[in-house]
Amino acid sequence: MKKYSDRDSLLIFIVLIFFFILFIKLMYLQIILHVKIDRVVKKMVTKNNIENSKRGDILDIKGNILATSVKQYIIFLDSKIIKDLNKIKMILFKYGIKIKEQKITEFKEKSYIPIAYNVNIDIANKIRSQKLEGVGFDVRYTRHHPEGKFLTHILGITDCCGNGLEGIEKKYNKYLLGSKIVTRMYRDGYGHIIMQDKLVDQSKMCGQNVILSIDRNIQFIAEQELRKAFDKYNAKKAICIIQNPKNGGILAMVSLPDFDFSNRIKNLKILRNSAISDVYEPGSTFKIVTIAAALDMGKIKCSDSFYLENGKLKLGGHIIRDNHKINGTVSLSKIMEISSNIGIIKIAQKLVKKEFYDYIKKFGFHSLTGIDLIGESKGILMNLKYWNHLTLPTISFGQGIAVTPIQMLSAFSIIANDGVFKKPYVVQEIRKVNNKITFNILDNQKLGKRVVSYETAQIIKKLLRNVVESGTGKNAKVNGYSVAGKTGTAQKFDHKTKSYSTKFYTVSFCGMLPVINPKLVILVIIDEPKSNNYYAAAVAAPVFANIAKRTAEYLGIKKDKYEIV
Amino acid sequence: MYKYFLLIILIILSIFIYLWQQNTSIRFAYKVSNLQTKYNKISIENDLLKLKINSLLALEKMYSIADRNGLMRPDGNNVVYLN
Repeated sequence: MKKYSDRDSLLIFIVLIFFFILFIKLMYLQIILHVKIDRVVKKMVTKNNIENSKRGDILDIKGNILATSVKQYIIFLDSKIIKDLNKIKMILFKYGIKIKEQKITEFKEKSYIPIAYNVNIDIANKIRSQKLEGVGFDVRYTRHHPEGKFLTHILGITDCCGNGLEGIEKKYNKYLLGSKIVTRMYRDGYGHIIMQDKLVDQSKMCGQNVILSIDRNIQFIAEQELRKAFDKYNAKKAICIIQNPKNGGILAMVSLPDFDFSNRIKNLKILRNSAISDVYEPGSTFKIVTIAAALDMGKIKCSDSFYLENGKLKLGGHIIRDNHKINGTVSLSKIMEISSNIGIIKIAQKLVKKEFYDYIKKFGFHSLTGIDLIGESKGILMNLKYWNHLTLPTISFGQGIAVTPIQMLSAFSIIANDGVFKKPYVVQEIRKVNNKITFNILDNQKLGKRVVSYETAQIIKKLLRNVVESGTGKNAKVNGYSVAGKTGTAQKFDHKTKSYSTKFYTVSFCGMLPVINPKLVILVIIDEPKSNNYYAAAVAAPVFANIAKRTAEYLGIKKDKYEIV
Repeated sequence: MYKYFLLIILIILSIFIYLWQQNTSIRFAYKVSNLQTKYNKISIENDLLKLKINSLLALEKMYSIADRNGLMRPDGNNVVYLN
């Protein structure tokens, strides 16, 4: 009996051939094309995502936020997908977004035409729910300053990608910048995300928080009072720095004019922090260096008297004049009280050039103070070998030397801190999100550098107190507090006439309070005040008094003097 | 025959367990993904609210409000220190 007919054999053969072809095809797909197919599928299913984590916050000493980052949306158009531009325009207009025709013609057929930046999440979600074809959303962190136009030069700015460009933002960029979050997403057939390859706690990837030594309230007081004077005198520049002399921490730093974070910065010069970058001839405030050097070297004594040449001193063909014509001799204290240039020259002449030069350097002039901000300048001081017979006398009263405001403040802080220099700083602490401290400046600030003896510092403090009590600094008096300080009215050098101007001045006042164990050292500089009475005593000293009074009361510094009723 | 039947049941059960596990893991992945999106949204909102609070407490703003309402800075004599 025949088991299979020919027809059945043929059918089985065809089926076997079919399966064989299927098998070959499968072999081809699974083995030979495996790598290629796998790559295509992976590309369709997975999506690599690189995201910036949140930039760290900048906080003041009391934990108030000064700069923070918030995720916001950028809305963009994809001109290749857009079908109904008018509908898109109409809907976006409802949410306050206006599409500029110019932008569309400018980008023409690009797939990314940004039309609105910093759109908050609610509006972005409402627009998204409209399912507009050709409208896309991009998320990025943007920097915000809750206080607005405040502490601008210190905080600095960032670029659109969140990298610091100026100030603290640049100096501490590596701490503020968080890690990049790299994840792989798996998508379904509709493109919806099924899962991530790993769950990332984004808060742990954030940048570190930078805590400043600046106090928001003190900064506000300084900015407010300085701005009043800046506007009143229509000044070219105005600077104020407040420091705690005990540890070197800067409590406030203002440079005017300043800029607004929310406006586009057209003039880059405005980013310059004059308090550390610009130099000026200090004038009489520099006299403390001359006296400190002479006292410390034992060249003069507190009880010494000096002849003031009736207000006119001839120096190698030049005449140095004082505002006061005083006959006979005067005490060291009186020289400071009336701010006599002749008296200071006489003191300086007791020093050898090299000794005076060394003390100028010891006080930190013509070198960086080391403040943790970008752009510090070291000032101008002529090399000792080029000093002529006029250099020492003129520098002794603050002409012929250019210093930065932070250097001048540091010099006064040395006196306030009993002769010891403490490096000024702005960043006190850096903390991780979990509050773990990465860096604390106070660990490095314990030791200081002795510049002058304790005794010298005490004498200078006493002299400076007399300046405020009965000298040129009377307007710097603060009710209830003892104040020590010095005025400085310096003529500005006119580069056109190659001589000192009789029209333009830089006036300053630097002082400390309370005199015994000072808690604050404050420097106020007004550049080119437009006023008939341009003297520091009339322009800078009252600003100092206002700032000092409000700051001392805010800090609750104990009053050490009877109030003047 | 009984043995074969049991084997088939076991194979089918194993396949079902495998399919159920795959299905559940995908369902959970969707859930986790949604929760992650929600979490991100809430943390953005939280950051925005923090920013709003700080902006409302900005000193310049408070000062201008106080000024508008005729409030004045207390004089030193009016401040009493408790210690």
